[in-house]
Amino acid sequence: MSTLMETPTPERTAGGTARRSFWSGRSELIMPVLVAGLATWLAYETATMTVLGTSVPGPQFFPTIVCVLLYAVAVVHAIQVLRTPRLPDPTDDAENADFSSDLLGDLAHASEKGRRRIAGQDPKATLPTDWKTYTDWKTVGLVVGGIALFILVLPVLGWVFSAAGLFWIVCKALGSKRPGFDIVVSLVFAAVIQLAFNAGLGLNLPSGFLEGLL
Amino acid sequence: MEQLTMLFEGFGAALTPMNLLWVFIGAILGTAVGVLPGLGSAMAVALLLPITFTLDPTAAFIMFAGVYFGGLFGDSTAGILLNTPGNSSAIASTFEGHRMAKDGRAAKALATAAVGAFVGGLIATTLVVFFAPTLVKMATAFGPAEYFALAVFAFLAISSVVSESVVKGVAALGIGLVLAMVGVDGPSGTVRYTLGLPQLFDGISIVVITVGLLALGEVLHIAGRIHRDPSATKIEPNGRARLDRKDFRRALPAWLRGTAFGVPFGIIPAGGSEVPTFLAYGTEKKLAKRRGDAEFGTVGSIKGVAAPEAAGNATAGTAMGALLALGLPTSATAAIMLAAFQQYGMQPGPLLFERSGDLVWTLLASLFIGLVVLVILNMQFAVLWAKMLYIPRHYLYAGITVLSMLGVYAISSATLDLWVVLAVGLLGFIMRRYQFPLAPVLIAVVLGPLAETELRRALTVSEGDPSILVSSPVTVILYSVLALALAVSALQHLRHRRERVAGGAGGDGSGPHGGEGRGPDAGPAGPSEGAVAEERESSRV
Repeated sequence: MSTLMETPTPERTAGGTARRSFWSGRSELIMPVLVAGLATWLAYETATMTVLGTSVPGPQFFPTIVCVLLYAVAVVHAIQVLRTPRLPDPTDDAENADFSSDLLGDLAHASEKGRRRIAGQDPKATLPTDWKTYTDWKTVGLVVGGIALFILVLPVLGWVFSAAGLFWIVCKALGSKRPGFDIVVSLVFAAVIQLAFNAGLGLNLPSGFLEGLL
Repeated sequence: MEQLTMLFEGFGAALTPMNLLWVFIGAILGTAVGVLPGLGSAMAVALLLPITFTLDPTAAFIMFAGVYFGGLFGDSTAGILLNTPGNSSAIASTFEGHRMAKDGRAAKALATAAVGAFVGGLIATTLVVFFAPTLVKMATAFGPAEYFALAVFAFLAISSVVSESVVKGVAALGIGLVLAMVGVDGPSGTVRYTLGLPQLFDGISIVVITVGLLALGEVLHIAGRIHRDPSATKIEPNGRARLDRKDFRRALPAWLRGTAFGVPFGIIPAGGSEVPTFLAYGTEKKLAKRRGDAEFGTVGSIKGVAAPEAAGNATAGTAMGALLALGLPTSATAAIMLAAFQQYGMQPGPLLFERSGDLVWTLLASLFIGLVVLVILNMQFAVLWAKMLYIPRHYLYAGITVLSMLGVYAISSATLDLWVVLAVGLLGFIMRRYQFPLAPVLIAVVLGPLAETELRRALTVSEGDPSILVSSPVTVILYSVLALALAVSALQHLRHRRERVAGGAGGDGSGPHGGEGRGPDAGPAGPSEGAVAEERESSRV
């Protein structure tokens, strides 16, 4: 227990060690930037919209409200992140942001430990030192790339081969250790879907170069 | 008792072999997505929507009914056995449920959960049968201002009152509203926010948004963590899930209390079953303390599982009533059900009972049938369901990725939809990464068009005078309750911030609610924890 307590919790005060740049713990700034970007696009589109009809309030009324709202939250959020940077915290892996853990903790009359569980915190977790980034971008990139590839080859290769390929890539990316066996699994999975849908529900999935054979 | 006649007719229509098959398929699918961690009924219905579009609406809705309740039946399995609840609706029953599992009573915990879900759902659905006509009558008196107030209530309750961070909740809401505005504006015919793409004139399908946020977003989130987070250890349930008479007698009052908490929350847009399940759990805990129940918090009390499970399904039951009669979705899952109705060209609300009365009563009847099928499936095969947790995670998420693509492609065989779903999936991923709530996006996408149309309609009638929005007693009550809820929530946030600051300074993080002290896992709070909590708090409003 005592060793656990000595595990350093990542410091989140600004200007910690020299190794850390200004951006450490502030990557969340991407969110207010995205939200402000969305608001700007919305404002531009709203201002240049070709309005049909003469009803008042027209189609620009509601978007204007949303636009103001988005700018406001982007500014407040940016200030929050700038004032208190947050480094990835292994003890706080809050999975569910839909609900306030304080609210649920109060409703459950939870103890401090219970509250931590509601919030998804694990005080025993530690941050391995060999990570350069919190998110495993390589795996995410493989999955996103796999999906993009699937969309590109779907019209050419048809459902069975494209879907089997996507299944296989995602398996591999998520750490499957039997790539050979996975080829069989993915082909069977994709083929069963094609058969079930074309035959059973009359839904046409592209057959690609196998056109006429299937 | 006109309702009973209608309901019996509904049973007549639902009890055909083909329809029973759909209930059965729905129940199996629902339980499966409930058992599997990270998936829920909302995502399952969204994926099924385009695929089932060739079915007739009655068959499709009968299946959705099974999925709708099934998700809440299955979600406690992973929580009880793995201590990692499949969905947030199962967190409350995990506390005592996992303790029971560790004590060797996993099968009993699973059975308590299944029967609890059955009791809660049954009572709530019965109430819906009797009170739906009253709700419909109420709703016919609603004008544009009232509907706008309902939408605002849902928006703010879900994005601000119950969510972890107000700023992130409102941002999520705004993103959802923007997504909802893409396409041709109904009242004026103006083309808005389509990037010049004619394929977007009809707007972005809610299926694309739901599948992207909940399915692909989850897959990408898992991809970002799977090689980094350790996996949980699993407890094997042994024997069949059954309850003897003594257990039954102990659990019954808890089931009923849980149901009483769940029922009202179905018609309040507070995001679904989380709040009532926690309320039910908290009440059982207080009662156990008063009675000196030594099982609670140590080896696990059957009541601590029974009450939240009943509350969860009771909420789902009355939420269906609010959806059908008022057209108001009170949770993300209900929002997808609303989208399902719209997909079939029907608009839930007062008119639905008139125009598609037979479908509504068949749906209500199949909710009852679904509950019976689900309780049998979950009692008899609890151990089998638990085996699903053995599916290797890479196969599971690869399968979900492919099914997401299938579901989205099935909407209109358009490649553009696939690119949009990938973009929304990335949005869902980054929102998860920075702990943004997703429920406000879905609620905004579904209720956004309604809010805009009703607001404009109200202002057109009043010739721009905004006082029309607060001109009726219903609107005044709704806004007052909302203001009260916001105030209470703000006070709560402030109080917790103060407590954390105090806890950090005083060096003990135990807080005033440390009443769980006799549990085996109630250790002394370490000096570092108060500081952690304080830091954490600073990130929210």
